[in-house]
Formats: sequence, C-alpha cells, structure tokens
Amino acid sequence: MTAKRRKKLLGKAGLYTGLTAITLLLIFPFIWMVSTSLKNKNEMFSATPTLLPKHVTLENYYSMWFDYNFGVYLKNSLIAAVSTTLISLLVATFLAYGISRFRFRGKTVVFNLLILTQMFPLPLLIITIYVVFARIGLIDSRAGLIISYCTFAIPFATMMLKSYFDGLPLELEEAAAMDGCGPFATIFRVVIPLSAPSVAAMGLFSFILAWQEFMMSLTLIRSPQLRTLPVGITLMVGFRDIMWGPLMAGTVVVTLPVVVLFIYFQKYLITGMTMGAVKG
Amino acid sequence: MKKRHKGSFRRSAYAYVLIAPGLVLVGVILIYPLLRGVVSSFFTQASGSMEFEEFVGLRHYRELLSDEIFFKALINSVWSTAVIVAALYLIGLSIALLLNRSFRGRGIYRSLVLIPWVVPGIAAAMTWKWMYASQYGIVNYVLQALGLIDQNIDWLGSTSTALGSIMVTTVWKDIPFVTIVLLAALQSVDTTLYEAVKIDGGNAWQAFWHITMTGIKNVSITTILLEIIWTFNKFDLVYTMTKGGPSNSTQTIPVYTYITAFNFFRFNKAAAIGVIGLLVVGVFAVLYIIYNKREEGNGA
Repeated sequence: MTAKRRKKLLGKAGLYTGLTAITLLLIFPFIWMVSTSLKNKNEMFSATPTLLPKHVTLENYYSMWFDYNFGVYLKNSLIAAVSTTLISLLVATFLAYGISRFRFRGKTVVFNLLILTQMFPLPLLIITIYVVFARIGLIDSRAGLIISYCTFAIPFATMMLKSYFDGLPLELEEAAAMDGCGPFATIFRVVIPLSAPSVAAMGLFSFILAWQEFMMSLTLIRSPQLRTLPVGITLMVGFRDIMWGPLMAGTVVVTLPVVVLFIYFQKYLITGMTMGAVKG
Repeated sequence: MKKRHKGSFRRSAYAYVLIAPGLVLVGVILIYPLLRGVVSSFFTQASGSMEFEEFVGLRHYRELLSDEIFFKALINSVWSTAVIVAALYLIGLSIALLLNRSFRGRGIYRSLVLIPWVVPGIAAAMTWKWMYASQYGIVNYVLQALGLIDQNIDWLGSTSTALGSIMVTTVWKDIPFVTIVLLAALQSVDTTLYEAVKIDGGNAWQAFWHITMTGIKNVSITTILLEIIWTFNKFDLVYTMTKGGPSNSTQTIPVYTYITAFNFFRFNKAAAIGVIGLLVVGVFAVLYIIYNKREEGNGA
C-alpha cells in the first residue's frame, strides 16, 4: 500500500517536473523578449547574461518611440485592425447567417470554397492582387490594406459563425419575423445578441489577424507614414547593425496586446479555433 | 452536440443580399487572384501591367527545370515540412498526454503552453533572431555553458545551421496548436474502455495503442494534414529571419515565389513557382476535404 502510494507521489512529482521544464522552454523566448527590452546596453551585451534585468530601464521604449517613428506605425496598425474587425464581422455575420438559414444554389460549393481558401498560398495570390490594386489605385492606401485583411478574415469567421448559428433554435427568429422584423432587424436584435461570445471571439480573431499581418503590408504599403507595426519593426534591422534594444521593445508592443487578449478570451477562442481546424 | 433543428427558411431574395458582400470580396481577392495567378504562369507580361502579352505555354516551367535555386527551394520546403510536422506531432502529443492527466494547476499550464502560438509571427522571428545572434545570443551562451559547443556559432548566418534553426523556431511556434487540438481529442476518449482492457488482461501499451491512439486517430489525421499545408505555405518566419539566405540555404517555395516577383520583377515566372507550390499543397488540401466529408458521412 505504501509502496503504491510512494509510486503515485513520485509519478506526480515527475509529471510536474516534466511539465514545468517543457513550459519553461516554451515560454522562454517570450520572457527573454520582455526582459531584453527592459535592459540597458551594458546588461544586454554582457558576457554573462541575466535572466531578469538588474536595472529596469525604459530607454529602449523611448528610443523606439522617438527614433523610429513608432507612434505612426502604432496608429496605422490600430486603424487597420479596428476597421478590419468591424467590417469583416458585419460581412461574415451576414454570410454565415445566409448560409445557415437559407437554401440556395451552390451552397455546398460555397462552403467548400471557404475551407479551401484557408489553404491558398499567399505569395501566388499577391502577384495578382498587386497588379489589380495598382490598376485601381489601391496600392499604398489604407483602404487597400483593410479590404484585403477583411477578405482574409471572412472565410474562417464565416465557418465558425455558421456552425454556431446552426445550433440556435429557429423559434425566436420566427417569432421576430411574425412581429414584423425583417431579416436584417432579426440579425441585429435576435441573432447577434444570442451569439455574442462567438461574435466577440471572431472579432478578436480578425483584430489579431490584421494586427500582426506582414506580407500584404510589406507589399502594398510604400510610404513611411502608412506603414504598420510588423513591417515597421523589421526596418530596425539595418544592414550592418541591429538595434536589438529598441527592436525588442517594438516586438513587445506588437506581442503584448495579443497575448493579453488571448489569455483573457481563451475559452471562446480555443473552442472556436480547434473546432474550426478539425471539423472544418 | 446533436443538431436540434434541421429546418431552414425558404428560398428568399434576402439570402442573396446577405451573402453577396462576402462572396464578392472572397471572389475578387482570393479566388480570382488564384485562378489568374495560375493562368499568368503560361504568359508573358510587362512588369506592373495588367495585360498578358504572349502565350508561351510551359516556357516558365522549363526555365524552372534549369533553375538550381528553385530545386533548392523545393527540396528545402518538402524536407523541412516533413521533419517539422513529424516533430510537431510527436512533441504535441507528448505534452497533450501529460496535460490530459488530472492534477492541480492544469489550467495554468495549459494557458502558458499556448503562448508561442499567440506571439505574432514577426515578433517570434525577431526574438529568435536575437536569441540566435552570434554575439551575445542566449542560445550560444547556454550551449557553451552546458559544454555542448566550444565557440560561438552564427546560427542564421551559416549555411549548415540556418535551415535547422528556422525549423526549430517553426516547431516552437506551432506546438501549442497541435497540443490543444490533441488534448481536446484525448478528453473525449471514453475512459471506461481502459477498464475493459484491464479486465481483459491487456497491458498499458495495448491500452494506449488500441484505445488512446484509435480514439484520436481522426483528429490526428486532420491535424497532420492541416499542419502540412500551413507549414509548406509559411512565409513570415523565413522571410524576416534570413530572406532565404545565406546562399539560398533556407530558400523555400513561398519565399522564392515572393522574391522572384517583387525583387526580380519576374511576375510570370514567380507565378509558375507558386503553381508548383499550389500543386503540392493541393494534394493535401484535397485529402483534407475528402477526409472531412467521409467523417461527416459517418455521422459522428
């Protein structure tokens, strides 16, 4: 009996040790990023690195902000991410509701196409998007960037919302229709309030997508005053010297909001994302 | 969950109003560019121009046959995808199995394990670039302290280590996704079946193989297919860490497609490279769709 219990305790200890070691390895780069951004130059380039800064300093953040135009990048990224969230949510909710509730020709084809778009290689698409956008004046414009982000967010958001709408009882919507609500009023007054957590999770998904997107922004945006954060950061990597301090400060600014939002909303996001990935 | 309602509203003009904006956007910015990209690989066109000039058949593809960089990119993409996905599955499954046991603090571990997945690609690339730095990089420091290497290595700057280093970063970034998906699958495995194996005199290995692995088989297959597609298509990490260098040792199909178009301004040749990538990914995408459909047909 005691031998069995000892074995069980040892197993628990092993489990905690193993998991803690793995977890530390997985989160180390994140800790190192934050820690580096708070170090001064001497400590950053010391022969014996320290895990946590001995003297916490914000000098890298000042430098990032004043020497590298960071305020402008931050503003552009916020504008792009917020617009993408609002527009793609509206469009995806309509599309998902349409697919979930109405019968129309080619419905299965539409749904399979949405799944397939998630697998398209972006560099191949960008060749044509670039040429088309150049023709209609959407190169180097916020609108062009936002339109493409919305489009990238729509397929996944639609699939998630559709599977949620499928589970909502029809009676409430029928009652709303009898009270004289048209489909749009029904969506705004009945469907969206009922599925608030899913809608919020998809809003967050769109926000994160736009906030961290790199390739489109790199390709479509040319003028420095329109650049977004992810591309702005890479500009700190010069040809000879890399300004690691301000670079890590910028990296923290891009990362922190996403990590905080995600941890806070993980319940909704994880169900959505794992379900979406595995069930289509 | 069972579907409570099979019914839907009748055919209605509203349906088209609702679905039109989304379908127009997806059609114009995702589907049309894909199709036109494929078509443009058979034509020539002046750089920056919309119009095709001349139909040249397979000329761009023939050019690829004698392009060493293209073959390097293709081999790198295929080989690194295979290794990365295998590593992802094995490590992800191990962590998921640990997290599937019941113990105090499980929720905290699960949240923390998610972090690499949440760190934006560009931030991950910059942080690992700093960790891999030949001078003052923490990777060199730790490996020397452990006595595994005796001098600093320029991880991303040397042709022998660059691809491997990027592969490590890619695995690190995607472990959480595989872990969480497999964990969800493990939690739905019927635990009463383990008792049955015990009664039948089966050992732990048989229980693991016949119940756990069989229980998560379907999820494993879809996850592996998805990871193959995503890993093969990955662009940000390689582009921002090495741009395919040094001397094309980390060149991949997506990065070479992009560079050919936007650094060398050979849009049609770039399209041909992209089409080759599309063919590779397409095989797995079709498998994914077929597999998903079969699962639905079985009525899970």
